[in-house]
Amino acid sequence: MVFKLFGNARSRPTLRVAHILKEMQVPFEFVAIDVQGNEHKTAEYLKKQPFGQIPYIDDDGFVLFETRAICKYIATKWRGQGPALFPDPSDLKATALFDQALSIEYSNFDNAAVNIAVEKVYKPKYLNKPTDEALVAEQVSKLEAKLEGYEAILSKQKYLAGEYVTLADLYHITFGFYIVEEGGLMLFTDEAKYPNMARWWKDITSRPAWLAVKGGL
Amino acid sequence: MTLKVYGLPQSSATQRVLVVLKEKNVPYELVPVDFFGGELKSLAFLAKSPFGLIPYIDDDGFILCESLAICKYIAAKYAGSGTPLLPDQSDVKAVALFEEACSVEESNFQPIATGIVVEKYFKAFRGLQPDDKVVEECISKLNEKLGGYEAILKKRRFLTGDNMTVADLAHLPTGTIIGDVGVKLLGDPDKRPNVARWWKEISSLPSWLTVVAEAKAA
Repeated sequence: MVFKLFGNARSRPTLRVAHILKEMQVPFEFVAIDVQGNEHKTAEYLKKQPFGQIPYIDDDGFVLFETRAICKYIATKWRGQGPALFPDPSDLKATALFDQALSIEYSNFDNAAVNIAVEKVYKPKYLNKPTDEALVAEQVSKLEAKLEGYEAILSKQKYLAGEYVTLADLYHITFGFYIVEEGGLMLFTDEAKYPNMARWWKDITSRPAWLAVKGGL
Repeated sequence: MTLKVYGLPQSSATQRVLVVLKEKNVPYELVPVDFFGGELKSLAFLAKSPFGLIPYIDDDGFILCESLAICKYIAAKYAGSGTPLLPDQSDVKAVALFEEACSVEESNFQPIATGIVVEKYFKAFRGLQPDDKVVEECISKLNEKLGGYEAILKKRRFLTGDNMTVADLAHLPTGTIIGDVGVKLLGDPDKRPNVARWWKEISSLPSWLTVVAEAKAA
């Protein structure tokens, strides 16, 4: 049975999963969830994803949610079919540095990035609500405080976990891209201020697998 | 060389690492940092922990930051010692469900519970008044999320199944503080019996009780 991705065609988290499916060359079927109609809050949906969030996947009966868990599962199951997006699990130190990079994305980037994306893009574009510019300024400031840390790491190594690209780098794209391209905030592309971060950002966002899904499903 | 943890006994992120070390019977040395003296902003500290955060560990020269990464590393390195806290690494689906549970904690629990901690714990610590509206919002959101937890824990003893993992323990520090400041959502057996059962089991672990006692004594 073909791998099924249940989500929304333009949802950032859905596109994060679609990106990795493309990286690993896994054929999949996209099933649109009626988010406007609150399908993701129905009792039927909650049986699959108890938090009422999108996306989730069904791989021949194996149901999984949380995009980062899904992406890691795809990169593991189809390892060898695409780039090695995480280190060999038998290498404990490399794995630890990979987990460190994953955590950096989650704790230093994700929260502010999501808040900015919601305010600058999602609310005006899809909900017809005004942007809370004060909140945006606060969240941008929060994110900017972290960019020094990113620059420090990326000045010593090519990617967040070491010399090879991993899922930890790629997870930044879906919201980061949204903020830069649709929100008009040139946060990670300032070559003068953060040359290594700009280098890294350009590298990861040029990947063909991302370009294939960036416009939506 | 004994593993060194650079942090503070009262810091929630440090406490996650300490409870895992204790569950695995791994000897360690806690090296307190001068949090209020600005040590975390010093160049020497930033060279080890680039975001200026605690904890980080030094395992015989191997430096690692981010509490969840540290917990997973310790659980993997000392897999054969103490309580097994990771799924069978050769079982792709079990590993996936473990990653799902870790992610659930990071996205559906930690940010919301931390909101309560900031208002009702950190602000009080600094003599500031909590923003009641923010607290109310966080409690409302957390209530909603715990509905998801209840559904999961109705079918499983722990978040991933029969065995306790790092994903369960990760909730302990922040979950304990919110209880301490009067937000008793995790321990309510009438509202969510399975969450209460799970919370009681993990928060009664001797290793966790020792971490809490050591924090109070510090």
